[in-house]
Amino acid sequence: MEYIGEHLLPGQIGHFFLLLSFVASLLAAIAYFFATQRRNTPEEGSWKKIGRASFTIHGLGVFIVVGTIFYIMVNQYFEYHYVWEHVSEDLPMKYILSAFWEGQQGSLLLWMFWHVVLGFVLMFTAKSWESPVLSTLALVQLIITSMILGVYVGFGAEELKIGSNPFVLLRNEVQAPIFASGDYLRQIKGNGLNPLLQNYWNTIHPPTLFLGFASTIVPYCFAVAGLWTGRHKEWLKPVMPWASFSAAILGVGILMGSAWAYEALSFGGYWAWDPVENTSLVPWLILIAGIHTNLIAKNTGYSIKSTYIFYLLSFVMVVYSTLLTRSGILGDTSVHAFTEMGLENQLVLFILVFTFIAAFLYLKNRKDIPAPQKEEASSSKEFWMFIGALVLTFSAILITVSTSLPVYNKIAELFNPAHEAITIKDQEPHHNKYQLWIAVLISLLSGFAQFLRFKEFNWKKHISKFSKHAAISILIAGGLTFLTTLWIKVIAWQYLLLLFAGIFTVVANTDYIFTFLKGNLKMASSAFGHIGFGLMVVGIIASGLNKKHISTNPFAQRGLLSQDMLNTNVLLLKGVPMFMSGYHVTYVSDTLEGNLRKFKVNFKKEDNGETFDVYPSATYDNQVTKVAAYNPSTKRYLDKDIFTLFILPRTEADIQEKRNYEDTLSYELYQAYENDTIFTKNHYAIIHGINFKPTHEDYKKEDGDIALGVKMSIHKIDADTSWQVEPVTVVRKNLLINYPAIVPELSMRIKIPELIFDRFFGQPSLDYSDFVLKDGEHFSYNGMKISFNGFNTNPSHPAYTPEEGDIAVSAILKVTSPGKDKSFEAEPIYLIRKSQPFNMKDQIGELGLHFRFTEIDPANKTVKIGVATADQQESKIPVEIAENALRSDYIVLEAIVFPGINFFWLGTILMMVAFFLSMWNRRKGFKNG
Amino acid sequence: MKKIHLIGIFVIAIAIAVLMSISGDVSTYATFDQAIQSGDRVKVVCQLSKDKEMVYNPVEDPNRFTFFAKDDNGLEKQVILLRSKPQDIEMSESIVITGKMQEEAFVANDILLKCPSKYKDEEIQLKREQKGS
Repeated sequence: MEYIGEHLLPGQIGHFFLLLSFVASLLAAIAYFFATQRRNTPEEGSWKKIGRASFTIHGLGVFIVVGTIFYIMVNQYFEYHYVWEHVSEDLPMKYILSAFWEGQQGSLLLWMFWHVVLGFVLMFTAKSWESPVLSTLALVQLIITSMILGVYVGFGAEELKIGSNPFVLLRNEVQAPIFASGDYLRQIKGNGLNPLLQNYWNTIHPPTLFLGFASTIVPYCFAVAGLWTGRHKEWLKPVMPWASFSAAILGVGILMGSAWAYEALSFGGYWAWDPVENTSLVPWLILIAGIHTNLIAKNTGYSIKSTYIFYLLSFVMVVYSTLLTRSGILGDTSVHAFTEMGLENQLVLFILVFTFIAAFLYLKNRKDIPAPQKEEASSSKEFWMFIGALVLTFSAILITVSTSLPVYNKIAELFNPAHEAITIKDQEPHHNKYQLWIAVLISLLSGFAQFLRFKEFNWKKHISKFSKHAAISILIAGGLTFLTTLWIKVIAWQYLLLLFAGIFTVVANTDYIFTFLKGNLKMASSAFGHIGFGLMVVGIIASGLNKKHISTNPFAQRGLLSQDMLNTNVLLLKGVPMFMSGYHVTYVSDTLEGNLRKFKVNFKKEDNGETFDVYPSATYDNQVTKVAAYNPSTKRYLDKDIFTLFILPRTEADIQEKRNYEDTLSYELYQAYENDTIFTKNHYAIIHGINFKPTHEDYKKEDGDIALGVKMSIHKIDADTSWQVEPVTVVRKNLLINYPAIVPELSMRIKIPELIFDRFFGQPSLDYSDFVLKDGEHFSYNGMKISFNGFNTNPSHPAYTPEEGDIAVSAILKVTSPGKDKSFEAEPIYLIRKSQPFNMKDQIGELGLHFRFTEIDPANKTVKIGVATADQQESKIPVEIAENALRSDYIVLEAIVFPGINFFWLGTILMMVAFFLSMWNRRKGFKNG
Repeated sequence: MKKIHLIGIFVIAIAIAVLMSISGDVSTYATFDQAIQSGDRVKVVCQLSKDKEMVYNPVEDPNRFTFFAKDDNGLEKQVILLRSKPQDIEMSESIVITGKMQEEAFVANDILLKCPSKYKDEEIQLKREQKGS
């Protein structure tokens, strides 16, 4: 079979470099291994050279693979499965990055890409640590590369596929009859990026998060290097800036995820204790614990062992998180959708290998790790910092246990097939209940411990200063807590305690900056971090505990609802203000741009008349047939957010539903003359006439359209209310498109039947009599006198829109009828468009006369005019009216107030800034290795 | 005894206490039968009965959506979800609902849908399909 138009070369190049970088990473791991083993011997240098060269080749190989995938994606080579899966012709270029990491292979490559970048930086900065660190890193790369290798090992039925190659061809992956045709490429189109992910957050969140994940490998590598080379004290310094960097980036990555969830997704919050969120938080918590013991170790020599454990564990938990989120095991408990790729075994192997390396090295060298003989004094900073690290660990363990229930179920099923899967009933309250105490302890510790000193330095003299500052902080925090309770409601003493603890750490650390550091901000990174933590706690209490649905209208509540059931939505009819929780809310309008339908909702505060608009929107799929995602909109104040989200009625959200629904309506046909009245089942209508330049909110004019509307007014029989409406119908190419008019208040839909075109085209029943006459001549027809009064070379006709190149002329006809005391005029048109003759008839409704102008004879200066009489019936204007239409001009709105949410963002951002600051301050360790 | 040992014992004690209390938050997935018998708030894994009617009439009540679902034992019950109709429920493979039985119906206030990924169905879309739509 010959396939036409395939581009196989990039795939071959890409796969070659994939294999090359796999082999090179193996070589780098081995070479650096021997460079470490033979350190301080003459051999070391040459091993190191091989290591560097192979890691460089590996790195360049990864870059080329990434580049090649971008190349085939940008060029839309749909012969590649990965391209077909994630790209489509209509995908805007700005989402090409998102499309790249939408798939498993792309995100694994993103991970490896960052490892390579970090590896290159380490190669130049790690000095004496280079060999052991890069040996470990190369081993990680080896395993990840194997997941996208796509190599078959063994033969026949036993054949084992290792990894899935991003360059596989569509026709090799998917069985479909289309591949029987050699030029299948001309017929297929790409699947495209999930509309939910077509969002700028998806461009910035994954690379940041993956850099965060990737950077946890560096502390792991340094820990391995420390154990391996026995330099248990020396590694503590160079690892510090890396750990701070990792904490900052991973933290920012997690925060971007929660900002995305809050701002752009319909989750209605920034943190939901979803398993996917949890598994990214756990490595971060452990890393933070590690940074604290690292500080202790560097300053006092205590806690070196725990520093090893934390840094090693943090990366292992990153791999565990990868296993959970990529294996599909979380399916029943998480809202995030994941697909399986057959990577489970490799991921389990990944964890086992790196847990084994860590455990083996640690246990083997445990006895050699130095620790001071005397234990920490209970009034020393290191003691309480260590307690803090333990609390963080405890938090990580609790989260991990609850999140791992699906894993437990899976394992239990292996041993006992009858095992009944267990799960946490309500995730959010469950986690909140325990993490509350963690947060209380951390807040209190991070406040008090700041006033303590390492090694209990000069405690006897220091104790009075410590007590004074602790007491002042408690008092101020108590006062501030009281003031805060005037602003937000705190319903239980546990929360009150937490609020106090959060405020306390803010106060204590602020005090610390001014009195202990004398305002030296360079040293203040830890204080900033803890102030950030405290503000975050305040923000969580304010926005989480006091978050309130304002989209409720108690009068509309049903008796059925029990207390624990939610009542969170209100229905807004277009243009009709609805009162809810102190606001008059109106759904004002909506506009469609591309596949985004934007809604304008106006809020007007009842008490002070303050008014603002929010613009939630619905993203349709790429064909604009069905809503793919609803996007919230938030009104921000300094002290609160008003978050709004909505859904559309079924018939608005899905074109198919709309069509089905249209079919179920029962339309009645009515016909009437201009300015006549028709009586419908419940109301009456006046038909004002046909409009050839109609407007309708859904109708967008295209070239070549023949459009007409019927102007009419609808009246209520027993009231003076009326509605001006105009149903529109359009002939576009061979399609007839209806734009019904809607009177929602009367459940009325009005559309124009096809019948109406009989007035202008067709009407074969008419029997024309032809007359040939010259300018000024006249003839008699049914007793009426019809005279031809010359041509109009600039004719106007309701159904005629001039186009370039038209030759159009109308015959001016004057009609006098014996019974009538006025005369009538008609102007049928004769038209030559693109060498084709056409005629457009004209009519005099009152006389029932139809005219057409069918021929011009330039030689004899005569024209041929056809005249016909039609039934009066036929010049009536037909409309179809349904009076059982359900309203579809509404949205179902959910509005939530998040008070004090800015404390959360401010606090978390401050924490991240603190980590960057700490990294910057300790960059010396980074430089000197 | 060293302080670190005391702390260790203390932490382990708390850990045991907490882990024991976690078991109160844990439950097995129930079937409709079990939900009827216990009357408790439970989680039920079920599949949407696609042949039965789904009712969502927001004009009347935007917080009420009813449908029928079958649990793993094949027992079918009406489910009253006290929320707006979730998107794509028609496409769901399985549904996890949280709530309790009230008379004949299961009243739920939380729902989790498991939908097949868009990318799992390996149907090749042809260009002309696009034109038709």
